[in-house]
Amino acid sequence: MQKQRSLLALIVVLIIAAIVVIVKFPVPLGLDLQGGSQLTIQVKPNEEIKRITERELEAVQTVVENRVNGLGVSEPVIQTVGQDQILVQLPGVNDPEQAERVLGGTAQLDFRRENAESRAFVNNRQQQIQGLIAEQQKLQSAKERDEKAIAANNAQIEAKIKEITELEAKLFERTGLTGKNLKYAQATPTQGSNWSVALEFDAKGGELFAQLTKELAGTGRRLGIFLDDKPISTPVVGQEFEKTGITGGRAEITGTFDFESANELALQLRGGALPVPVEIVENRTVGATLGRDSIQRSIYAGVGGLFLVLIFMVVYYRLPGLIADVSLVIYAFLTWATFALLGVTLTLPGIAGFILSIGMAVDANVLIFERTREELRAGKSLYRSVESGFYRAFSSILDSNVTTWIACAALFWLGSGLVKGFALTLALGVAVSMFTAVTCSRTFLMLAIAIPSLRKPELYCPSLPASNKAQGAT
Amino acid sequence: MKLNINKQRSLWWGVSLSVILAGLVAMGISWQKYGAPLRPGLDFIGGTRLQLQRDCSQPENCAKPIDINAVRQVMSERGLGNSSIQLVTDESGQQGILIRTRTLNVDERTQLQQTLTKEIGAFDPKATQIDTVGPTIGQQLLSSGLIALLVSFAGITVYLSLRFQLDYAIFAIVALFHDVLITTGVFAILGLVQGTEVDSLFIVALLTITGFSVNDTVVIYDRIRETLKISPDLPIDQVVDNAVNQTLGRSINTTLTSLLPLLTLFIFGGETLKNFALALMIGFGAGVYSSLFIASTLLSFWRERTSQPQNSDQLSATSDQ
Repeated sequence: MQKQRSLLALIVVLIIAAIVVIVKFPVPLGLDLQGGSQLTIQVKPNEEIKRITERELEAVQTVVENRVNGLGVSEPVIQTVGQDQILVQLPGVNDPEQAERVLGGTAQLDFRRENAESRAFVNNRQQQIQGLIAEQQKLQSAKERDEKAIAANNAQIEAKIKEITELEAKLFERTGLTGKNLKYAQATPTQGSNWSVALEFDAKGGELFAQLTKELAGTGRRLGIFLDDKPISTPVVGQEFEKTGITGGRAEITGTFDFESANELALQLRGGALPVPVEIVENRTVGATLGRDSIQRSIYAGVGGLFLVLIFMVVYYRLPGLIADVSLVIYAFLTWATFALLGVTLTLPGIAGFILSIGMAVDANVLIFERTREELRAGKSLYRSVESGFYRAFSSILDSNVTTWIACAALFWLGSGLVKGFALTLALGVAVSMFTAVTCSRTFLMLAIAIPSLRKPELYCPSLPASNKAQGAT
Repeated sequence: MKLNINKQRSLWWGVSLSVILAGLVAMGISWQKYGAPLRPGLDFIGGTRLQLQRDCSQPENCAKPIDINAVRQVMSERGLGNSSIQLVTDESGQQGILIRTRTLNVDERTQLQQTLTKEIGAFDPKATQIDTVGPTIGQQLLSSGLIALLVSFAGITVYLSLRFQLDYAIFAIVALFHDVLITTGVFAILGLVQGTEVDSLFIVALLTITGFSVNDTVVIYDRIRETLKISPDLPIDQVVDNAVNQTLGRSINTTLTSLLPLLTLFIFGGETLKNFALALMIGFGAGVYSSLFIASTLLSFWRERTSQPQNSDQLSATSDQ
């Protein structure tokens, strides 16, 4: 009896602790319940970096973190997955498209200078093409069409165009001034509805920029601003900068920006360039309203399921069923508190796991009570029947729980994010149920037997033969 | 109620075999049609699914019902003509569209959404669901799921062979395969009949079924072992029959208490969890059937054919441990 009392005290303490935990630590909700975006970023090798190592992955992660912070999302989660993926969770993000655009680009900014010789060469070739085209028109409109000459002329034009396209790649040469030399970038309005991106260089960047602009000023050679090897702006530097170049360490990229695109580029530049290309290979976005609907549905399903099980148990198993119900409610509290304590993020599959574990939690009690009934039918006394019910059912309970754990472990180690949540909640649920269904139920049952008015075998097993009833009561 | 488990062995086996056969035929047809035994969902083959709902708080926005042909038109103009497009209506009567198409990148998706907004009205970003899965990720999800399934099979075999003798473990695994086959078979049929697709949650369901269905089998085996310990001279047929009947109440009740929450999940759980709950219900049903009628009868069938005295020796040896 002493043992029962102290166990009862322990149970009461646990329940109080669980309630405190539930009130104090809310269980964090997954993105599918609170709304938000989950992006998986695949880091890809390029010509320079053939294999993605931990270093590249970390570098990418840092840049991604910077950019996410720039997006102004509260409590984002950024973590690496496997060898070459980064998982980004953005709870409550308003504009998932923006996030995807900002995180998906490498944003390698490069300032290049136009090569004078190449420029001259291109100009020369362009003039030649003009001449050839004029000749072509003449040939075409001539009375006697000389097909041979037309074809030859066409071939010449094509060859020149090819030369130009080949050269254009070399038209601008790298200057060593890149996005790495930036201190800050910001979207600023220009005339009308146009926007530009204002840049602020660091000390070295400022020097390089002054040098570059000094060199180009007044020559008619252009300054090429390239983003990810594509020119986004190719301004000409005015003659007035011939002496000193553009000093002060500031520049502005004008182009065809609206507020959004200017802001996104500024955001990317502030966050830094990615050393390798990336691709967003998975996007799961759930609107906040949909998440709220899911929560509501889950609550209906969970509460409904719990009630059905409670009713079933008390109808079928009578007094022990009632006791199992009490244990089951304690189970629900303790499991929820465990989630809160361990910081388990609750996802939709996680809730499913929890609801499922309610059904499985009573399994142990079903095993025990069936065993108890058998012992009662075999004519044993009530106390001994209950005792041996618990004792003999235990190996079955353990076996069945271990097999569930094996499946959960496989899911947890090998499954993806969503699946992990389910495995964790189910495994924790089964573990807690070992305690509630065995220890709690047993303690309550033993206490019930100690009360004389509850010591009637028919409360434990209906339709017991009359002879057994008398025996059982003793 | 007392079930004659072993007498009607051929009936039980016949029922199982015919269900499994029907499933296998359905899987074969699916293989022809979709290139996979089950109709694979977005998770495994990649693609984009967009669920959009109009923002009815804006005046006039929801005045007209959504014209699905307008949506089709927009899609085919963008070269996405072979996408699946569905109109969905939620409980409050609000209309939305569900589009399933090839993997779209962010720019393609934004443009599509903008054009659709022009055609049928502004969407509520809070009620939008986007799922984009690249083809490589799909492969990854599928293979990690299948590996998890194999690992848990192996784990359960090892555990059961440690706890019981090897032949028990083998028949428990046969029963496990039976449950998984029946569940996948039913989903293959559902895929053909009403286009039900399987996603990662389906693999989760299969794994849960493996963990759970073996429970009933273990409980019955536990009882067989216990009875054989007490009276080793009883014929195995009778031992098995008794064990199944003694644990019948438990097997049925446990399955019931697990099915009840699943039923509420199926009714209230929303699209994502509906098929998940259904898979579990089928699997648990098959699980209790296979424990009662398949794993038990296979064991007695096998033990009848191996020499009896040797068996009881073995058993008494294990019981002494």
